[in-house]
Amino acid sequence: MIGYTELNIDLTKAQNAMKEETHRFAREVLRPASIELDKIDDPETVIKSPLFWETMKQGYDLGYHTIFLPDSYGGLATDPLETHIVLEELAWGSVDFAIGLGISCFPAFFASMVPSDRLIDDIIEPFCQCSDASLIGCWGITEPDHGTDTLSPFTATFADPAISGQTRARREGDEWVIDGQKAAWVSNGTIATHCLLYPTLDPSRGMAGGGICIVPLDLPGVKKGRPLDKLGQRALNQGEIYFDGVRIPSEYMLVDPESYESMLDVTLSTANAAMGALFVGVARAAYEEALAYAKQRIQGGKPLFEHQMIKHKLFSMFMKIEAARALSRAAMIYNYNNTPPMIQYSIASKVYCTNTAFEVASDAVQIYGGNGVSREYPLEKFFRDARAAMIEDGANDSLMITAAHHL
Amino acid sequence: MTVFENKEKMQAVLGGLFEKLLADPEFGPKFVKSGITIKFNISDPNAELWVTPGDGTHGQVAWGSHADKATVEMTLSGDTCHKFWLKQIAMPIALAKGLIKAKGPMPKILKLLPLLKPAYEAYPEWARSHGLPVD
Repeated sequence: MIGYTELNIDLTKAQNAMKEETHRFAREVLRPASIELDKIDDPETVIKSPLFWETMKQGYDLGYHTIFLPDSYGGLATDPLETHIVLEELAWGSVDFAIGLGISCFPAFFASMVPSDRLIDDIIEPFCQCSDASLIGCWGITEPDHGTDTLSPFTATFADPAISGQTRARREGDEWVIDGQKAAWVSNGTIATHCLLYPTLDPSRGMAGGGICIVPLDLPGVKKGRPLDKLGQRALNQGEIYFDGVRIPSEYMLVDPESYESMLDVTLSTANAAMGALFVGVARAAYEEALAYAKQRIQGGKPLFEHQMIKHKLFSMFMKIEAARALSRAAMIYNYNNTPPMIQYSIASKVYCTNTAFEVASDAVQIYGGNGVSREYPLEKFFRDARAAMIEDGANDSLMITAAHHL
Repeated sequence: MTVFENKEKMQAVLGGLFEKLLADPEFGPKFVKSGITIKFNISDPNAELWVTPGDGTHGQVAWGSHADKATVEMTLSGDTCHKFWLKQIAMPIALAKGLIKAKGPMPKILKLLPLLKPAYEAYPEWARSHGLPVD
């Protein structure tokens, strides 16, 4: 059963069914797999685990990798409200798998913005029809020396020629040739088959001189690093990708510097709105565990829930989650329905919801007491997952500066 | 100086283009099947152009207010419209730069793009035949 009251009285039967079905998948498949994989020390072992692939395959089989893609290609094509509902439920079960499935569509999603016959045949349709996780996308934007630098469109430093990317692409005839490296934070990085890559095309424009292209990762010159060993979201594969003279057809370069900054704005708006929805799910997961625990754990001769301080804390957590859902749904519905989007709302959603997830998970750990920091219980995992999100997809503090430029 | 000297000219060119396309044995049924109703809010000259699945068998072109609810709403100038159909400006770029403002779920907009291919192919000749510049 879903642990919150749906305040949207206009939700249709089909939308309620979608929510229930996604919740069931999150509860029965994603949550147990994510907890099990979290116990594995070596991230290389995680991606060799049959459990990891079986879980990904089930997600693909249900089409969760295609929620952003048109039904005419075989995508789920959920509307913005449905997208929020699905992402929240998936992340309630496992934010690591939810991000992995969501990011996977990036190459096909961007290809569908410029749908040439070749891109439809090579990228979009095979991805939509894939039901066994044999085609996986990733988003290659940050670099070893450029994290926040890459995610600050329309700020003064973004066009500073003294600051430009390490991954470069140059035109040679009908091809683009790519050299350089993307950071260890590329989600799905070491398991992906295709990368939506953000290389620099014109360094004289600084970070604004970028482009966006699709790189099949089986091309000569592509090398992948080891999976990143990190604090939380351990079932989300992340890792470096190296490019050494990698050649792609010119048709795979989707965006050039002329429109790069605007398209980055669209990318960040889309991704940050999704992060907001996902971390409402994480906050809710932590809150629900804490509430259930508080009602059965006896201290001072009565359930924790009967202690005023605990009751007060739980209601504070409840309020934050409801506020986070209201903001993130509104931001997603507006920005996924309006192009160009208003990035400040997506960033507000990302920052508010990831901060909320962290605060709620921290309070939940506190309510659990000693058990909260024990790996026998899921709370410390939710706490680690939430902490990582305050940096992931843009560090919250620097994102706020980027958003403030639009005020 | 705008490409469409007045609303009547724009109606003849753009309305005529869509009527021609909806009558096309390949494009017409595909568009009707998509179930998408597009509303173009055009400025300079000002007009509202609707392209709808009509009665479900034959698509319909209409101008002005319309009873249907738009699935996708595009707000753009007449000049941007002309450039867009000439493929002098790509939809994602126009959207990103605010030359076209779109309302409607992204998957619906993305679904629309391949459907519009015949319009791109037909427009240069169509525009030329109406005395519009195409270079």
